[in-house]
Amino acid sequence: MSRVESKAGYFMVMPYFVYFAAFVAYPLFFSFILIFHRWNIVTPMEFIGLKNFVRLFRDELFFKAIINTLIFLSIHIPLQIVIALFFANLLNKQIKFRAFFRALYFLPVVVSGVVITILWQQIYAYETGLINQMLLGLGFKKIPWLVSPEIAMPSIAVMATWKNVGFYIVLFLAGLQSIPNELYEVAEIDGASNFQKFFRITLPLLNPTVVLVVVLSTIGGFSLFIEPYILTGGGPLDSTLSAMLYIYNQAFYFNHMGYAATLGFFFAMVILIIVIIQRKFIEREVY
Amino acid sequence: MKSFLFLFILFFVFGCSSDRKNAFNQANKKLTYWCAPNPEEIELAKILVDKWNRLHPEIQVEVQALPAGQSSEEVLLAAIAGGTTPDVCSNIWPGAIAEYIKAGGLVALDEFEDFDSLISARKIPVDLLESFRSKDGHFYQLPWKTNPVMLLYNVKIFEKAGIERAPRTYSEFFEACEKIKELGIFPGYTDIRPIWWQRFFDFYPFYIASSGGRTFFKGDDLDIDYEIAVKVFDFFRTCFKMKYFPITNFQVDPFLSEKIAMRFTGPWTITYLEGNKPSGFEYDFAPIPVPDDYQGKVYTYGDPKNIAIFSTTRYKREAWEFVKFLVSEYSDSLLLEICNQLPIRGDLLENKKFADYFNRNLKMKIFAEQAPFTRGVDEVVEMKEVFDAISREFEACAVYGAKSPDEAVKNLIKRTKVIIEWSK
Amino acid sequence: MRRNALTYITLVIGAIFFAYPFLWMFFASLKPETQISELWFMSENLSFKNYSTVFAKIPIVRAFFNSLFVSTAITFSVIIFGSIVGYALSRLNFKGRDLILFLILFTMMIPFQITLIPTYVLIVKLGFVDSYAGLIFPAMMNSLAILIFRQFFLTIPQSLIESARIDGCNNLQILFKIIIPLSKPAVATVGILTFTSSWNEVLWPLIVVRSEKFMTMPQLVTIFVVGGQAGSQLGVQLASATLLALPIIVAYVFFQRYFIESLARTGLKE
Repeated sequence: MSRVESKAGYFMVMPYFVYFAAFVAYPLFFSFILIFHRWNIVTPMEFIGLKNFVRLFRDELFFKAIINTLIFLSIHIPLQIVIALFFANLLNKQIKFRAFFRALYFLPVVVSGVVITILWQQIYAYETGLINQMLLGLGFKKIPWLVSPEIAMPSIAVMATWKNVGFYIVLFLAGLQSIPNELYEVAEIDGASNFQKFFRITLPLLNPTVVLVVVLSTIGGFSLFIEPYILTGGGPLDSTLSAMLYIYNQAFYFNHMGYAATLGFFFAMVILIIVIIQRKFIEREVY
Repeated sequence: MKSFLFLFILFFVFGCSSDRKNAFNQANKKLTYWCAPNPEEIELAKILVDKWNRLHPEIQVEVQALPAGQSSEEVLLAAIAGGTTPDVCSNIWPGAIAEYIKAGGLVALDEFEDFDSLISARKIPVDLLESFRSKDGHFYQLPWKTNPVMLLYNVKIFEKAGIERAPRTYSEFFEACEKIKELGIFPGYTDIRPIWWQRFFDFYPFYIASSGGRTFFKGDDLDIDYEIAVKVFDFFRTCFKMKYFPITNFQVDPFLSEKIAMRFTGPWTITYLEGNKPSGFEYDFAPIPVPDDYQGKVYTYGDPKNIAIFSTTRYKREAWEFVKFLVSEYSDSLLLEICNQLPIRGDLLENKKFADYFNRNLKMKIFAEQAPFTRGVDEVVEMKEVFDAISREFEACAVYGAKSPDEAVKNLIKRTKVIIEWSK
Repeated sequence: MRRNALTYITLVIGAIFFAYPFLWMFFASLKPETQISELWFMSENLSFKNYSTVFAKIPIVRAFFNSLFVSTAITFSVIIFGSIVGYALSRLNFKGRDLILFLILFTMMIPFQITLIPTYVLIVKLGFVDSYAGLIFPAMMNSLAILIFRQFFLTIPQSLIESARIDGCNNLQILFKIIIPLSKPAVATVGILTFTSSWNEVLWPLIVVRSEKFMTMPQLVTIFVVGGQAGSQLGVQLASATLLALPIIVAYVFFQRYFIESLARTGLKE
């Protein structure tokens, strides 16, 4: 393939360069300035050196927010993988209406998180919620889904799984369909059980997809904002306070632009480190 | 040449008359005045400005209401930064003034030579006045009005429960709660949402009530009374634990529908209650309960709003004259009549000018008696976040019982210190 | 045969699990307040009263058009600029080419948490708060879109491009007259991805827009429900949520194959 040396290339790429300068480079650069200042946007910036970092390391609420997010992920990710694999497996079989089921499972993925959250607020409501109504009807007691500090975050994790699992079902389905049938046939001839077939063939070959699911879910989990914002405002007892919600409040409720930028910066570092660690631990060579 | 002379004479006669010239220039003096966005205060402002304009044709005042639906504090701060401030504003909340001063937006009022005589004419108690003095020793706000938070109770329910008079101490309060509980009604209520300003109607008034008027800060440093804070947290924790207070948000007003017997609120509720009460409904007010061993005057949170002059004003003297008019006996009596809010003066019940009003509005008498014994919030920039921290501890300790009052206060002090250290 | 039955049953249960909440939401919005928590859809007293309340209380139609305008503008911009840059990176040779590619990959790595606040400050300084510009400009280009186009364009046979050049076409003409028509899957993927994600985006509008005039649809519904304007009328809240879901669901019903394939394709790309 020959490529012609072309000045036109510069011009075509120029718009991206301008965009990059304005919305990537400048914000990054400015964030490095902001984190050493205190600023409420209205009055002039005040240089405060490392005070933002001093405060960050003594900020119990912020660390609680990060731990909340980790709790969320520790439930959301495994649940997602198990359910997505389960349904992808079913859909992989010779069945009719596969497209119909796939489309239905995928529906919550495209609908706005705002809709999902408002809907689940009614599902989880303590007095009149759908689930509790069903429980009462079956003779059980009501469960304080969003009112109990212990259960609130796991409840949100389940809701997030419901919303996103369709996407991962599709991914796993594509992954499953790319596994050559011969591998299974050979294994059957060798007398492998279903269990062995799954863990020796399917899972390892699905590894790239699993890594993808984990990384995407992690990044999504760290962005958790609108769900606690609508459902609980961060409560009860700050158990559903996500890092993004805390940063948002610091920036736009208390007008602490510098401190919020510092929190954002630190949080971004945490995300990068976790993603790198995940890749190291979960990624395996696929033969 | 003749026409030129003619014009010259015309100009001299009509243009250079010194009286007319002064009147012309003076009529150019215009002041802008911003008032709070609620309907009663807007009406009050219009009447006062109207009267002033008729009395002072050379200094015309134009009144504008602050935008509703937005935090007045943010609007004012943005105006200071943008140089678009009015000359005078009467919706100054002491908690926000620290930021205005830091931005250099306000005029020091005690530099006017008749400041002191104005204050003494209003007979403002010294300790209350001092709470409005800024850190550099000057007064940037003129105390204007107050709405003390007190205990509101249903008189009929008290009678039915056999409670003779409004509870004055924590023990009396709990006794009353036990009796009311037997009637199947929730004795009391406070909004449990951890929103920072909610604490102005539970934790803060109770703290001030038994602290002898002490607030949270001395200057820039935290000066919270540990014992009192623990007692207040413990009080509310008992209320929720013993189910005297419900952990619900009510859809319909629970006081008028007799689902609760008591709550903590200010005189603004009177208009609402009078307008909506079912027939035969009787209510009254009492001071905030204090710990059993407390001796001394019962204070409370007064939600004061004050008047300030902004440093962008071109007519300092005239603005000050207008401000003096805003706190004259005439204006104060209108503040009572139209807004049912109390001017910050010590002679409310002695001054004959207000006697008629208080005779017609007996319930306001209690508030007038309480008015000299109120406090606002400290002049600290991060007051909002401090109250946010209080709300978190309140939720954890009082509402959920997940922490002991000691832990709550210790944690509150710790987090407040972090916030204050950072903001210095 | 039996195993298949079990599979079908499970799939149907799954289908109910994913679809029932939406159906319930729609019918609950039609019910009187006291019957909302009932599990079954039907009730004698169905009415659209809650919807009239929503239309009366908030400018939801305007918000719909705001979202439509903003998302369409962003999608067009991302497709046009994405394909231009993707073309330059895949088919042209110039000195900065690898640098730009690196910058694009670098941008994708940066978590948005770090640029969120400074970008807001930039928008304030530019005076774009409460404006369409503030909503559109920061999203005008997208690294992923560029990479998708680049990937796709690499597969276009060089001969086609050569012959177009011989015919005297310049680069832009080559791109838009020849390459794009051949790249329908890429355009569809980028288009659907961009439109859906910009339509559902709510954090950025919450930050940048305070005036109801410019609010996007998800933002307006969020503020309506959280800010207490809906009072405690659950039916009204659910009605607003249904209205919000409607446009995407309608689009989904017609284009679901493209939705699913686009999103799946991006997953595989990673």
